[in-house]
Amino acid sequence: MQRLSILLFASGWLVVAYLVSSVQAQEQAPGPIQGNKEGISYRLSVPTVEQIAAFYEGRGFPRRAIQALTKACFITVFLANRRQDVVWLELNRWRFVDAQGKEVPRLPRPHWNALWQKLDVPPAHRATFGWTQLPERRDLRPQEPVGGNVTVVPPRGTFTLEARFYTGARKEGKDIVLRFAGLACPGRAAKEVNP
Amino acid sequence: MRRVVLLFWLWWAPFGLSAGELPVGLIPLDGRPAPPLRLADMSGKVTDLKGLRGRWVMVHFWASWCPPCRKEMPSIQRMAEKLVPQHLQLVMVNTAETDETVFSFLAVVTPDLDTLMDRDGQVTDRWQPRGLPSSFFVDPQGRLRYLALGGRKWDTPPYMSFLRALPGSLPPPGGPKNGPK
Repeated sequence: MQRLSILLFASGWLVVAYLVSSVQAQEQAPGPIQGNKEGISYRLSVPTVEQIAAFYEGRGFPRRAIQALTKACFITVFLANRRQDVVWLELNRWRFVDAQGKEVPRLPRPHWNALWQKLDVPPAHRATFGWTQLPERRDLRPQEPVGGNVTVVPPRGTFTLEARFYTGARKEGKDIVLRFAGLACPGRAAKEVNP
Repeated sequence: MRRVVLLFWLWWAPFGLSAGELPVGLIPLDGRPAPPLRLADMSGKVTDLKGLRGRWVMVHFWASWCPPCRKEMPSIQRMAEKLVPQHLQLVMVNTAETDETVFSFLAVVTPDLDTLMDRDGQVTDRWQPRGLPSSFFVDPQGRLRYLALGGRKWDTPPYMSFLRALPGSLPPPGGPKNGPK
């Protein structure tokens, strides 16, 4: 009987250890994806919930704002135009699609502005949050870098980002398409954020 | 006569630079009046951009959380050691951070630089930089002439030559001296 209880106790700990390790594995942010395609340098990563919370907590964001932020899925993007012509960053041309082919809704600036209003977030934090986001639209001049976050409603499982860019001063050039498959937002439950 | 021509050329030379001749990452602006900028530093000393008329001013927006800002800052300090205030005035503006954060950052990264504090981010918003960091160049008449896109290596020859070529290099008579302490 004593042996059985020891066995049960030990196996219980094994199960707990397995669960903890699998959760930890899920929480690990995958390494950044980086490269250059047709003169656009890119670096993209998906920070964990803990990384997002730590970043904004470190800047004094109120608890209620952190709770809202950690329900969203952040994709951190750095781009640089290494071409001789203009590249147009327009987030409304970026598509996020889950593994089932369903569109993953993006959370644009008006969503956050309305939320900060509702949560009475101080102006300094609204400003900081704004500067940490990718601009909705930007004509990237030659050698111009841009960086920031894009937020989406956390999808179940993996998802793909297809980012399309016009080129040329009057958008007369050939489109450039960057495609990032197998992205995931670990630790965030779907349907918690309403865009 | 020759002197007059030389002075005229020195005065107008930077306005005549085309985008192709500017150092990488600098673009010309249309010369519209600079938005108002009146802010205090961490010790409460107020700087008003209007009070810096008659000189070229580099207005630099930054935040400690922004990786390119952190990377760029030491080169601004090295540039400022050589060019401020003889060649231009440097006005650094921190965007929406606290005194504690900024103080501890500057003390480690660039102890000789001072910054104005845009505590609620409203001034930065009015200037509409194309991201952080951003540096605007305001001419002696208070007009926006150039914008640096992202972080630049300000102490390298192309940028130093550009900055040295900006005319109006007399120190302000008793005016505020931002930049190196």
